[in-house]
Amino acid sequence: MTDIILAVLRALLFVVIAYSVLMLAALVNILLERRALAVMQDRLGPNRTGWQGTLQSVADAFKMMGKEDFRPALADPVLFTLAPIIVMIGAVGVQLVLPYTNGLTGASLDIGLIFLVAITGFTTLAILVGGWASRNKFSLVGALRSAAQMISYEIPMILGLLVVAMVVGSLNVNVVVAAQAHYQWIAFYAPFTFLIFYIASIAELNRGPFDLPEGESELVAGYVTEYSGMRFGMFYLNEYGGLTVMSMVAVTLFFGGWQGPFSNAIVFWNVSWIGIVYFLIKTYILVFCLIWIRLSIPRLQVDQLMGFAWKVLIPLGLVNILCTAAIMLWAPHWKIAMAVFSWVALIAFIGLFDPILKRRLRKQRERQPVVNV
Amino acid sequence: MFDQFATAEPDEAVKLALRRLDEAKARGEGSNLEGVELNEVVVNMGPQHPSTHGVLRLVCTLDGELIKDVIPVIGYLHRSKEKLAEKRTYFQYIPIVDRTEYLASINCEWGYVLAVEKLMGITPPRRAEFIRVISGELMRIASHLVAVGTFVADLSPLGTAMGFYTFRDRELVLDLLESLTGARMMFNYFRFGGVRYDLPDGWIEKCRLFLKKMPKLVDEYEALCSDNAVFLQRTMGKGVITQQDVMDYGITGPNARASGVALDLRRNKPYSVYPELDFEVVVETHGDVFDRYLCRLREMRECVKIVEQCLDMLPNGPFQTGSLRAPYIIAPPPGAVYVGQENPRGEYGTYIESDGSRYPYRLKFRDPCFCNLQLFPKLLTGIKIADAIAVSGSIDLVLGGIDR
Repeated sequence: MTDIILAVLRALLFVVIAYSVLMLAALVNILLERRALAVMQDRLGPNRTGWQGTLQSVADAFKMMGKEDFRPALADPVLFTLAPIIVMIGAVGVQLVLPYTNGLTGASLDIGLIFLVAITGFTTLAILVGGWASRNKFSLVGALRSAAQMISYEIPMILGLLVVAMVVGSLNVNVVVAAQAHYQWIAFYAPFTFLIFYIASIAELNRGPFDLPEGESELVAGYVTEYSGMRFGMFYLNEYGGLTVMSMVAVTLFFGGWQGPFSNAIVFWNVSWIGIVYFLIKTYILVFCLIWIRLSIPRLQVDQLMGFAWKVLIPLGLVNILCTAAIMLWAPHWKIAMAVFSWVALIAFIGLFDPILKRRLRKQRERQPVVNV
Repeated sequence: MFDQFATAEPDEAVKLALRRLDEAKARGEGSNLEGVELNEVVVNMGPQHPSTHGVLRLVCTLDGELIKDVIPVIGYLHRSKEKLAEKRTYFQYIPIVDRTEYLASINCEWGYVLAVEKLMGITPPRRAEFIRVISGELMRIASHLVAVGTFVADLSPLGTAMGFYTFRDRELVLDLLESLTGARMMFNYFRFGGVRYDLPDGWIEKCRLFLKKMPKLVDEYEALCSDNAVFLQRTMGKGVITQQDVMDYGITGPNARASGVALDLRRNKPYSVYPELDFEVVVETHGDVFDRYLCRLREMRECVKIVEQCLDMLPNGPFQTGSLRAPYIIAPPPGAVYVGQENPRGEYGTYIESDGSRYPYRLKFRDPCFCNLQLFPKLLTGIKIADAIAVSGSIDLVLGGIDR
């Protein structure tokens, strides 16, 4: 009996922690992005509310809560209300298997990686439901774009995760972290895999150059067009909290999670507390990269987005898996061999993809002779 | 699918779109998507859509992401400016000309003033001509900055900082024009036979500082966008305007020059002191979205050159004809004139018919944006929504001019 009560309490504690992490991260990320945006765009950004604008996102959240709870007359009442609620499930659920630090994990699942991929799909489900229930054509197009995008980019993401699973030999996220001890981070000897995973994860977040479902210049606001007030706030908070959560996943799987120098120095209640600091530092470096990418690359187009997933990322992911398997089977020092292969692949991809793409684009254009009037 | 979403009675344009849809179905034309029987949705883009600058409304029939039919609807900014001219003296009408193509108001004034001067047979003094060229070309820079900035922002508002940079740098031009004319947007600066004020003290130095800075700023824009793979992917080979289209639809300005038609009224039908100035007519050859963007960037560099020459050649002398003040009330002899003038967006024509009274009998503008808009159904049909946004941004419409 006590076991069950303890398990329930543990689950409740996890939900409270995971939600708090998501909300806090969203508030911090919104401010971070707005200030980073301002710096990169040569303006000031929010700097009036609190010291240097630190309370801006809090003020925004309160403003959103105070707004009228509005629902369009023809919208589906149940689904329209349900969508903002289930949108959080993905970002909260993912944290179940992530070790914040040594000994602080929601549940050490043996199918951690599969759980991780499965639960992130909930976000898209919510977007699809919300877009459909809004009864707005722009929302609908945005929602369908989101679904198509998720289907396409889930595959390269899984292909990236497969390499991790192959290298580590386990699907348990805690084992993945443990396998990266002594600074043998997977990103060091499989950077190409990380690149594939990272690109796919940006697309999963509906961010950066892949923010087509929102597509504010084409679809007004995409799937959130009809949402306002706190319902919109839920989508918004989830999007920004998702930045941190997705970066946490990337750090855990590729950058050694909570590990760092002296990360096990202070341990009480069986938890090494310094690990949290390392985890946060690494996470926020990646979050900043996500913001930076968003600000430097214009949005792709739907067909280009799909083409990039199906014609570039998936074949490369498959080749990557094959080569990794071959190296692990036959190479004597497979980590070194893999590092060589992966870095060469990464540099070749970055060095070749851009010029080839530009050449193809320039070639397909037709010249017209100059006419003097 | 339409009825399921309809919340209000469809208006004329939507009814037309639906009728065309029915006709297409009757002809047996279905969806372009395989395995889909019926997938068309009629969507209103505008008048409050974020990317149709101003209040342009496009009634689009979508087949998935493909656009099957476009009906542009205009008139949301109509202020009957042409009719207003008939109840105002020639002089009173100058500020209203500002409000037609409001992003290039000085150039619009110039076109109107040129027409009245031709009607009256006035020749402005040389210094006034140079000041006109200087302010007109500065305005052209400002206008192209808005055009390029909003176009890149249409592709992705936060994708590059381009939109913010161009608007930041437009402030420099507007500051110059403000110290010259006293206004930032609606200048009311040109007069028949001259300009309202002479160049203020120290203005030439300020202008030279800006001219030194401007090419570097254009370099910065090019570094941001012109070599960005995603930007090239969005723009290259999209929305091609052929030379036949240019002839058929009367396309002028950078849009025509991007298609390889070297049509520039400053060269072809020179007015003011342009024949004395050395500048290049910027021509690109592909006619796609990217070339229109590039054309505008390169034209900014040419504008800088022109203004530099004007500052070097600036003569002393009066800046208005005759007495100290330009004539307030004039009554041109009966007759009609048409004067075409090169606006940032193309040929801005002014037609004035005079019956000898103090008011124009009829006034008509040939607005370049209006002609460019006619191309929309042809350019946008059969491409994707995202492409359509890029194409319409690159055409660079100003609704004040279209609706007049």
